Amino acid sequence: MKALRLFERHGSNITFGIIVFILAMMPVLLMMGVVSGGSTILFLGKCISFAIVAIGIDLIWGYTGILSLGHGLYFALGGYAMAMYLKMQATGGHLTDFMHIGGLTEMPLIWVPFTLSPGSLLLVIIAPAVVAWIVGYFIFKNRVKGVYFSIISQALTWAACSLFIAMSPYTNGNVGITEIKSIFGSIKGSANQGNMFLLFYVSLIALIAVYALSKFLVERKFGKVLIAIRDGENRTYFSGYPVSRYKTFIYVLSAIFAGIAGAIFVNFNGCITPSQMTITYSIGMVIWVAIGGRGTIIGAVIGAFFINICEYNLSSGSTVEIWQYIIGVLFCVTILFFKGGIVGLVRDKVPSLFKKV
Amino acid sequence: MNIARKFLSTIAASTVVLGAFGLMGCNEDKAAESTSVKVGLLHSLTGPMAISEKSVRDAEVLAIEQINKAGGVLGKQIVFVEEDGASEPSTFATKAEKLIDIEKVATVFGCWTSSSRKAVKPIFEEYKSLLWYPVQYEGMEMSPNIVYTGAAPNQQIVPAIEYLISKGYKKLFLLGSDYVFPRTANMIINAQAKAAGISVVGEEYADMDQTDFAAIIAKIEAAKPDVIVNTLNGTGNVSFFKQMSEKNYSSKEYMTMSFSIAEEEVATIGPAILKGHLVSWNYYQTTSTPENTAFVAAYKEKFGANRVTSDPAEAAYDAVYLWAEAVKAAKSFEVDAVLAAIKSGSISYKAPEGVVAIDGKSQHLAKPVRVGEVSEDGLIKEVYATAAPVAPDPYLTTYDWAVKAGLQPLN
Repeated sequence: MKALRLFERHGSNITFGIIVFILAMMPVLLMMGVVSGGSTILFLGKCISFAIVAIGIDLIWGYTGILSLGHGLYFALGGYAMAMYLKMQATGGHLTDFMHIGGLTEMPLIWVPFTLSPGSLLLVIIAPAVVAWIVGYFIFKNRVKGVYFSIISQALTWAACSLFIAMSPYTNGNVGITEIKSIFGSIKGSANQGNMFLLFYVSLIALIAVYALSKFLVERKFGKVLIAIRDGENRTYFSGYPVSRYKTFIYVLSAIFAGIAGAIFVNFNGCITPSQMTITYSIGMVIWVAIGGRGTIIGAVIGAFFINICEYNLSSGSTVEIWQYIIGVLFCVTILFFKGGIVGLVRDKVPSLFKKV
Repeated sequence: MNIARKFLSTIAASTVVLGAFGLMGCNEDKAAESTSVKVGLLHSLTGPMAISEKSVRDAEVLAIEQINKAGGVLGKQIVFVEEDGASEPSTFATKAEKLIDIEKVATVFGCWTSSSRKAVKPIFEEYKSLLWYPVQYEGMEMSPNIVYTGAAPNQQIVPAIEYLISKGYKKLFLLGSDYVFPRTANMIINAQAKAAGISVVGEEYADMDQTDFAAIIAKIEAAKPDVIVNTLNGTGNVSFFKQMSEKNYSSKEYMTMSFSIAEEEVATIGPAILKGHLVSWNYYQTTSTPENTAFVAAYKEKFGANRVTSDPAEAAYDAVYLWAEAVKAAKSFEVDAVLAAIKSGSISYKAPEGVVAIDGKSQHLAKPVRVGEVSEDGLIKEVYATAAPVAPDPYLTTYDWAVKAGLQPLN
């Protein structure tokens, strides 16, 4: 019973600890030959980035009730900032092929910072933060909420995606930015395993930091205010809280998380394309949180890993043509029967199981 | 309700377990490896590209089965592992890595869109693996780890424009979807038209999923071209040609020369609408070679009598056979040995389109070029063909006008 009580109180932190431990062990297992292939690590690295963006979405949706269907925009902004820096590293600061084909003869202004210094990597955070602040400030100040906010977030992402495709001399259109190495150099193949492990552990630390910061915020009064906004926005207004300021802050924070996630993703993926800022991709992120269990932080992490690992394994071999139906059914079942997602399921079922024993 | 819940939670739990265990990668029995060789197929089987890539994937499966029936390669049966690229370049990258690194396939046949190829190219290069890319494309690329079995621009676009010039067309209107293939194709066509002294009276790009072409048709009417050079892709073609036909424009009023309309697209858009329009490819279902008669018969027998073969499907079919030829020449499945055999320039194969040979330097195929006209029955009738296979020239370095226009990339 003691174990149960401990789990009830610290369940999410314990679970997160287990996830982190398993992830941290993966490179060791690879060295021992238990896990086949370094690409498993690269894939899990991408999952880490998905977990980070999912935590951000959980903060605004699960806690504050802001349903953003356009977080792909911030994910891609962070991703593009990273990719542009890495591309300049790859070309040595010279014009790229797509700029040449697009008829440019000089480095475009938007690319110049990336040729100058690694400090431009701050744009990974600054770009999504500024865009999110502008969007959030006006939308929340004007008390746009609910489905209207969701529609605006979608439209914005769609517009940005079209813009990135149309500006092909600057962004390489829908091919995106390709042929880049990670920030620690090449990470593919057994010769570059050191770089890969370094990148993997740095990303894992980023995930831990994002998780810890989010937990810190939601467990304080600040978190209670967010929940109050979700459950009764007008009441919170009348109680004297500057609701729109809270909303803008948490929205910007989640955009920053998404930007960091995008930057990590690019390092593992080796390319970024506008399909990372499509509406479909953005809704996918919300689904991770819904399946994992919203309003729990740990649910976002579980959902992101669970869905992506399922997709990775189901979309090949014998289920290659039907895997989307499987994921779809899973999503429908979760929404219909388990509103709390995986975390909710465990929270409801496990104590009663223990009691039976 | 309670039972339903329990049942569902069991399903959920087992999926979790399955999903997690799948990641560890189950080790197949090693005994099978001595009698078989594993290859990867990497195409979009879901998402918007699935409809196109399915035909290519089917042709590859057909070739693999035929080779297996004839005794396999070096005495081994070919086993294929399929991965879904889901019409998303990053997924292609993830899956390419999985095929190479975890499945340890001997080679991969895959991709359709340029964006998916560009996403996987560095992966095949870094892992020193081998990809067979079966679709005509915009050129300006020569990866040592990719064999391109579709046409380079000088095997489709350039000869088609030469054909138009020889037929007396003088005013071109360039229409394309907004992505890398149409943009690069039109860059080439602009340079070629300038050198030939004919004019380009308009250049328009439509969004990939655009369905309203009224504004573009108005621009075409104003520009009065005598031929529209069409590089639209996918659904754009359907909307554009339907809206042209609604205005009663047929090939008599506005002739078009299309680079992405093959037999499958003709069936979707409707032969009545496309009748008389021109297309340019290396292969048609009607191409008369004994190899093609056998290929079309086998394809229809396996996948249904209403299915049609097309240039990309044929190029994918060739890719599998060419790989088998290269393996036989190398007497090994190792990528380095196979690439060395390809580099020797001696790999060729009697394909449905005629004899195709891999050029050792560029790893593209020497291919015959055919201009065709869509006929009422939905098939494409050849109206012009080059006398001999055209050597590949992905960077157009053998064309003075292209060199002068500085089309080659920087590095």
